[in-house]
Amino acid sequence: MVDDIRRWSDELAHDPSSLVFLQLGEALRRQGQLDVALKIALRGLERHSHDVAAHDLVARIAVDRRDFMRAVEEWEIVLRLQPEHLGAMKGLGYISFRQGRLDDAERFLARAADGGAGTAVTNALETVRRSSGGAAESWLASDEIQPNDLNDSNVSNDPNESTDASDPSHSDDPNDPQRLFADLLVDDGQTALLLDANGFVLGGIYMDGDGMDVSQEIGAQLCGISEEVVRAMRHLDIGDWGSITFETHAAVIAMAPQTDGALVVVAASRATPLGLLRRLLDRCGERAASWIGAGGRES
Amino acid sequence: MSVFTSTLEALTRQRGVRASLIVSESDGLIIDARLRYGQDGERVAALAASLYRKARLSASAARLGSVAFLQLDAERGRICAAGRPLHWTPDGAIGSDLVIVVVADPAANVGLIRMELLKAVETLA
Repeated sequence: MVDDIRRWSDELAHDPSSLVFLQLGEALRRQGQLDVALKIALRGLERHSHDVAAHDLVARIAVDRRDFMRAVEEWEIVLRLQPEHLGAMKGLGYISFRQGRLDDAERFLARAADGGAGTAVTNALETVRRSSGGAAESWLASDEIQPNDLNDSNVSNDPNESTDASDPSHSDDPNDPQRLFADLLVDDGQTALLLDANGFVLGGIYMDGDGMDVSQEIGAQLCGISEEVVRAMRHLDIGDWGSITFETHAAVIAMAPQTDGALVVVAASRATPLGLLRRLLDRCGERAASWIGAGGRES
Repeated sequence: MSVFTSTLEALTRQRGVRASLIVSESDGLIIDARLRYGQDGERVAALAASLYRKARLSASAARLGSVAFLQLDAERGRICAAGRPLHWTPDGAIGSDLVIVVVADPAANVGLIRMELLKAVETLA
């Protein structure tokens, strides 16, 4: 990705009128460099003001920046230029729903569904149609539509997708594995996961900044780090590893191994002191050990 | 003497620091290092670079942003690493594939090492 960004960057510097700004802006958006992505997209839009993809890119960056007004403006332009654009319909449906305009959400999603947007949108539409209170919240919390997945290429056609994904953070069942660490997390920005040796989620939940459950994705990605750590430990002769902590521009993350290759992952906002994060990791590790020891039940 | 000499010496002066290295993340080769007697710098460099790279790629794939600091705690030692990953700004691509790595005793003051590392990473081109 870094190589791609460098290459696209060079290409754009060489030819400012190139459409490569679309790929560069999207890559930067996916990396979370939203301010830079927006600048790239807006510069491209200045030269390609009738380019549908450019307006769509600006809209998706705007959603990631929580600038819904700008996103709506851009997607409305997209639909004027290309009335059958599924990504714009889904995006406007998503924002309408977030803003409580269920009639508008239904209208946009219905258009998207009619246009062949796939099972996920059809299911979301059904949920919106029967939405009231909790059901609507469940849809918003589900993975069916996310602000990062509004482009057409991410439309899911999986017929097994369910509309019944409820918001696990609102579950009251104390035996719900997703609530394994719930009482240990004292801040909205804190999140914790227990992964098995293959990176599959055993317990806990990882919510992103939008309140979406991204546990499986995060688990699968971070599991690879522990494999690399184990490999390094074999060669460095500094004993078994106890934990790894890393700071990114978005969060602080700590991980510790458990029995049978399991892994506890905790994350918190960038502002969280590392010492506090380590204490949280210790407490979650103890909870995980006791939960695993009890065969997957609260002991 | 290299341009990194003072940076590495400042890091190595920290209590409990066994080695400090500047490593190329892409190939794991040492650019410069200050090692205590008996430290296998090349092995540390290769493994630390690989670990940092894996953490950076995983964090990026998980949309957590780029890794600025990493700390690995083990029974008989600690590894800390910091880098300035390549990223795009309106002025062009900036950053570096260089990573500063510190190997320290388990009892070393990680808070101080982290501060020194983050300061040192600013000196990377």
